[in-house]
Amino acid sequence: MSNKVAIIASNGGLFDAYKVFNIATAAAATEKEIAIFFTFEGLNLIHKQGMQQLPMPEGREHFAEGFAKANVPSIPQLVEMAQEMGVKFIGCQMTMDVMGLTKEDFIDGIEVGGAVTFLEFAKDAAPTLTF
Amino acid sequence: MAIKADVQLDAKGLACPMPIVKTKKAISNLADGQILEVQATDKGSMADLKAWAESVGHQYIGTVDENDVLLHYIRKSSNEEIEEKTFEQTISNEEIIDRASNGGMILDVREEAEYAFGHIEGSKSIPMSDLEARLNELDKDKEIFVICRTGTRSDLAAQKLAENGFTKVYNVLPGMSSWNGDLSKKL
Repeated sequence: MSNKVAIIASNGGLFDAYKVFNIATAAAATEKEIAIFFTFEGLNLIHKQGMQQLPMPEGREHFAEGFAKANVPSIPQLVEMAQEMGVKFIGCQMTMDVMGLTKEDFIDGIEVGGAVTFLEFAKDAAPTLTF
Repeated sequence: MAIKADVQLDAKGLACPMPIVKTKKAISNLADGQILEVQATDKGSMADLKAWAESVGHQYIGTVDENDVLLHYIRKSSNEEIEEKTFEQTISNEEIIDRASNGGMILDVREEAEYAFGHIEGSKSIPMSDLEARLNELDKDKEIFVICRTGTRSDLAAQKLAENGFTKVYNVLPGMSSWNGDLSKKL
């Protein structure tokens, strides 16, 4: 059985962030090796400022209360936890170039690479998830 | 009644995936064979912890719901399946009920928490780690059928009994993990 989980994060909203980081931390706790490839809007999730205020989908703002009530950890907390547990973050070089962003715009400890970097990791991963 | 655990982890009020993340951290500080009690209010933690334990290789023992707090019991795995069994007198699961009803005794050497979630009616619980101190509770003239989950701890327990002058001792194989008969609980 594969011990790797590969995740593609290509959307930049708050809900997307929870999907990505909840699965990633849970997988890390289950002693899997995890890499997340952040591409297009997904880069938002690890952008130093952007990740602090990720948008809720329009019309779903009232969920904010539910998040607080359920004591769900914040995205920066989940990100820190994921990194602590060894989850590998890969920023997509091509998207960063398109958006005029550099490695310094993102949280520490990320790698920057192209599609092949991720594919190399994902080739024997099961499952590969896309959010 | 309270179930005995070596370490307790308070994960109350935390949402997924925090109970799992905390459990993983906590269990790394346990010794093999020790019992972790995870206290959680996240209702999803029941299915999650069970699946997690299975995936990582620890033993999920069971869960008690105590006033809306879920108490999960997990025994840190000790890779015991691969160890060799050396005690020569053995007996099968199927034979012990008859033999025990003829004046023998079934001795369950698993941890108290494992015993609590399911044991053979009438069996006596003395966890392996307490055995030496509690030998005086056992009768040398009776047949003793020593059982655990997979036959490894009971193998060691049977050896210990033999060293201490017990002769009518049998290791029960394969053990509680393959038990098909009725189970009693003590919760």
